[in-house]
Amino acid sequence: MEVLLGITGKDFTLIAASKAAMRGATILKASDDKTRQLNKHTLMAYSGEAGDTVQFADYIQANAQLYSMRNETDLSPSALAHFVRGELATSLRSRNPYNVNLLLGGVDPITHKSSLYWLDYLASLAPVPYAAHGYAQYYCLSILDKHHHPDITLGQGIKLLTLCTDELKRRLPIDFKGMTVKAVTKDGVVDIQFDDDKVVKAA
Amino acid sequence: MSSPFSINGGACVAMVGKDCVAIACDLRLGLQALTVSNNFPKIFQYGDNVFLGLTGLATDVATVSDLFRYKVNMYRLREERQIAPRTFSNLVSSSLYERRFGPWFVSPVVAGLDPKTGQPFICGFDSIGCIDFAKDFIVSGTATEQLFGMCESLWEPDLGPDQLFETISQSLLNAVDRDALSGWGAHVYIIEKDKVTKRLLKGRQD
Amino acid sequence: MDTLVARYSRPTYTQNELFTAQEQEEFAAGSTPNLSLKFAMPPVAQPSAWLRAATDDRSNPHCPIKIAHGTTTLAFRFQGGIIVATDSRATAGNWIASQTVKKVIEINSDLLGTMAGGAADCQYWLAWLGMQCRLHELRHKRRISVAAASKILANLVYQYKGKGLSMGTMCAGVTKEEGPALYYIDSDGTRLAGNLFCVGSGQTFAYGVLDAEYRYDLTVEEALELGSRSILAATHRDAYSGGFINLYHVKESGWEKHGFTDTNPVFWKTKLEKGEFSNVTSDFSEEV
Repeated sequence: MEVLLGITGKDFTLIAASKAAMRGATILKASDDKTRQLNKHTLMAYSGEAGDTVQFADYIQANAQLYSMRNETDLSPSALAHFVRGELATSLRSRNPYNVNLLLGGVDPITHKSSLYWLDYLASLAPVPYAAHGYAQYYCLSILDKHHHPDITLGQGIKLLTLCTDELKRRLPIDFKGMTVKAVTKDGVVDIQFDDDKVVKAA
Repeated sequence: MSSPFSINGGACVAMVGKDCVAIACDLRLGLQALTVSNNFPKIFQYGDNVFLGLTGLATDVATVSDLFRYKVNMYRLREERQIAPRTFSNLVSSSLYERRFGPWFVSPVVAGLDPKTGQPFICGFDSIGCIDFAKDFIVSGTATEQLFGMCESLWEPDLGPDQLFETISQSLLNAVDRDALSGWGAHVYIIEKDKVTKRLLKGRQD
Repeated sequence: MDTLVARYSRPTYTQNELFTAQEQEEFAAGSTPNLSLKFAMPPVAQPSAWLRAATDDRSNPHCPIKIAHGTTTLAFRFQGGIIVATDSRATAGNWIASQTVKKVIEINSDLLGTMAGGAADCQYWLAWLGMQCRLHELRHKRRISVAAASKILANLVYQYKGKGLSMGTMCAGVTKEEGPALYYIDSDGTRLAGNLFCVGSGQTFAYGVLDAEYRYDLTVEEALELGSRSILAATHRDAYSGGFINLYHVKESGWEKHGFTDTNPVFWKTKLEKGEFSNVTSDFSEEV
């Protein structure tokens, strides 16, 4: 019951991930951060098989940072997304593939255009205006279809995110312990304070 | 677990006309019943008059299309000329057979015009490279039965570019409307001697 | 001749000879007859396991019997009554078998039922429920309550539990005693009263849109719009939902139909006029 959500707006990309780290019927940690910053303008959120997720995310993060150091320039979110897809696709046909689902969001350092990429464990890549992984897809995509517009502001984006998490709190049978929310803007990645304590009741 | 060929969904069709060919695909990318993206084209261009349609597992559609981009670029550098559709088809076939024992889960379709004679050329493949040459049409994807039905009834020999566009568009749109896993818009390419027209079709969004 | 006439004429209630002793007993007791004996069962040791193996197209796409599946249905209570809305697609595997299925079943002029799961199961048993409701009216000289009607159905499907019935249905009606009443009944035997239910493969998508803007004090216009928009959302994202939006409003005076509308024009109108569905490309200009 891991939740990943991503929303693009006028000049930002919001990435949110649930805080619960679950193993079986136990919540091991209620303040987990399932995101990695790949460079100044790109952030990646991950979910999937325990162990695979962090190993793969760290591997991608290290390679993205290595590229930035060697070339004194950052890869664009689009370039990174295609790099990640290539790595995941290679792993898919190996002896033990990484079972990881990803959302990769960023703002292009030159054009300042926001972008979001959806990747699943099969290494299918799709550029999308908003995305989710896990059960959140089934509840939130219809909300985002209705309420999302390409030119929303960061404030409106956070409101939209609250609309989504409210629905998840209402309908998911397991508590996901709130969300880590980060926004990528042209100035880099910023942590967003997000109200996790709101109680939502089903109609 | 369902077949890798029908996890993501998708449909593609190519047709022969008089001195022209057409190739069209839908735009859906899904995960079983869930539609993830409505903007996932499955047709790729490898020369002025060479097009490849790929349906099947989305990850392999991306990997295989990138692989052929690399191979065709290398061919062009080595030969200092563009690849011909027939040559490209043999490249596709042998590349797919390289993975005989662990295939790419794709069903490719090639459409193009012969650079020397201007003759229309289309063919399809199974996932391990068996070429299916055709004089009329080739279909692939999750809506093949529906596409065969539409093409068998609508296609006729020697259609001009405009009539061919109408025929291929109606065939694709009406076929995907009877398939749960494909649709959500379509791309159509009409390939003539010195002109390629690409159109985006407005399809049902359910 | 007289003997022939006597044999084929309709027997009067008092000298009824065509009913068996068992049936007469049940009739006298006024209970629902146990209908399970009247259905032919496959002559195998485990009929339900055999049926599942032959009909479950999800685990076996080449199963010999394909049952129509895939649905989005919703119903919610509000101050003006109950809104009932469904899509109209029937699928057998990935094949779209029909785009014009009527998934709202008019049990009688006051009661509505919705259809999800096995199409035949829902159609048959909701028609049967209509009959039971009519018998209740004749016996007791007043309309059956929604609670009682839904319980008749729940008890019936529970009798067949484990035999392979597949239905997820909602019963909606407005009575003087109950006000707007809405019940969810499924083939497991679950029966729940509630304000808001969505059932079917597209239920989560409908819940998403509906929950975000649902209030009990919605106006009739707002409620109709929200119901239809929720179905539209589900048809867009769920491959097994689509076709037409079937919309009903249930009031104390009975139900009122609000159209069977193709989703295609509704979708493009919603997108182009309200700017929703920004994930769908709408730039159809010619590119070369």
